[in-house]
Amino acid sequence: KWKGEGTTQNLENIVIGRCYDYIRIVNPAVGEKNCSQIWEAFKNAFTNKDPCSILPGDYELFINLSLHTIPPNKSLFWENNQLLVNSFADRGRRYMSVGDTLFGFLGDFLNWCGQADSPGLDYESCPTTVECENNAVESFWRMASITYAQHSSGVIHVLLNGSAEGGAYPQPGFFADYEIPNFQKDKISQIVIWVVDDIEGPDIDSCGIHSVNTLETRLKTLGYDVTCTDNIK
Amino acid sequence: MPLQQGSARTRQRTVLLVGIVVLLAALVLAVVLASLLTHGRHEGSPQMLKWKDRGTTRNLQEVILGRCYNYITAHYPELGDKDCLKIWESLKDAFIYKNPCNITAEDYQPLMELASHPVPCNKSLFWSRTGDLAHRYTKSNQNFLTLEDTLLGYMADRISWCGDPSAPGINYESCPKRSECESNPGSVFWKVASKMFAEAACGVVQVMLNGSIEAGAFRSSSIFGSIEVFNLNPDKVSEVHIWLMQDIGGPQSESCSGHSVQRLISILEERNFKIICEDNYRPVQLLQCVHNPDHTDCRLCTNST
Repeated sequence: KWKGEGTTQNLENIVIGRCYDYIRIVNPAVGEKNCSQIWEAFKNAFTNKDPCSILPGDYELFINLSLHTIPPNKSLFWENNQLLVNSFADRGRRYMSVGDTLFGFLGDFLNWCGQADSPGLDYESCPTTVECENNAVESFWRMASITYAQHSSGVIHVLLNGSAEGGAYPQPGFFADYEIPNFQKDKISQIVIWVVDDIEGPDIDSCGIHSVNTLETRLKTLGYDVTCTDNIK
Repeated sequence: MPLQQGSARTRQRTVLLVGIVVLLAALVLAVVLASLLTHGRHEGSPQMLKWKDRGTTRNLQEVILGRCYNYITAHYPELGDKDCLKIWESLKDAFIYKNPCNITAEDYQPLMELASHPVPCNKSLFWSRTGDLAHRYTKSNQNFLTLEDTLLGYMADRISWCGDPSAPGINYESCPKRSECESNPGSVFWKVASKMFAEAACGVVQVMLNGSIEAGAFRSSSIFGSIEVFNLNPDKVSEVHIWLMQDIGGPQSESCSGHSVQRLISILEERNFKIICEDNYRPVQLLQCVHNPDHTDCRLCTNST
């Protein structure tokens, strides 16, 4: 029916398990959270609805229940280099990317959608963003990105892929459309951009040129103190 | 007449007083019973044994189940036939209601059978005193697997559990340290799982050792030195590659020519394995360099280029 793969099997067990894993082991500093309630809020955001009409705001209760502070100077934004980011962030110990927050941790690498007029999850297929933008997963990450940006403070780091086709700073993109517009200017002291090429990959983009220049200009116009470095060691 | 009235009133008063005393006694008894019962339920029964290490991880069942499903779904869909509920039950049965100093390898047999899976040849990575680095390496290079990258290790990593003969059978307050008793649920689990991981290895195996420890990179008392080395199967394993990693800018206590490493090499050669030892294996060293980019060892260009 839809072109994308269906809901991840055993989604409920995985999400609830990840929730307890996070609060008991990964980051106990966030304190006590009600994981069953968080699962219910997550599920209610997209079940019993047309799978093409899910909006970021539908996840509001879920976000409110799973929100926690993001330590200043630890935010790490990224585009087109998720595995590198996970490795560099060292599971939240060095940096805390969106996947290292509780709300991001719950959804990372999973897929889900519901159907209209039925409380169940659709395990057969789910709409891709090409088929419809307002699908469950897309809206989840938009909401997560918005929230993550709103709660980031201090020195902000951005890791971009200088070998990505189409440029290191994708437009449209999550960073461009959902994160930059939600930065809290009075809480941010500096924005540090790192452009890293794939090993033996092409050097398509760098600081000061093409899309990275577009990004630097945009941030400076907004009034941020911006620095940019290529291929950090 | 006044006398008769007096004695009736006295009797009434006595009955009243007795009634009040009985009521009070019943009330006190009820309060004591209630507090005893709830007290018992909140803190485990007062007879639960007390130990020195942290207790069972709270929400153990949810964490184990979630990790099991997560592993099968996200990491190894080929293991789709694994029954996570049965796996959880077999883990619980291994230790619940048992004295946590009397755990045996047999207690874990059903779990081992349900949760074990083959490891592809040439991919086993053993480690000793280099856990953090070894796991960062396998996360960035899926060509290698540590025990904690297999289903069993993945479920149990950084978690603790132990039982107690009194209800509810699981001790969330404390668990025995190895120094208190060796046959505790955690220690026995890792011994049994490590033995199986070593037995399952085939082809070329790798081991990451720490060359910055004064006590020596290879210790016979470690799990690697006492269990894994001796359970590698010479009919399946052809070579052992040793990666001797020193901390960047840290003490260079030992290298491949070092005393304890030579001892390990001779133990392995006696069992007919071919050995290759490499100091500061470059791909792993590059990971260390992420945290120390300015050190001379981390410069990209060497004099030879």
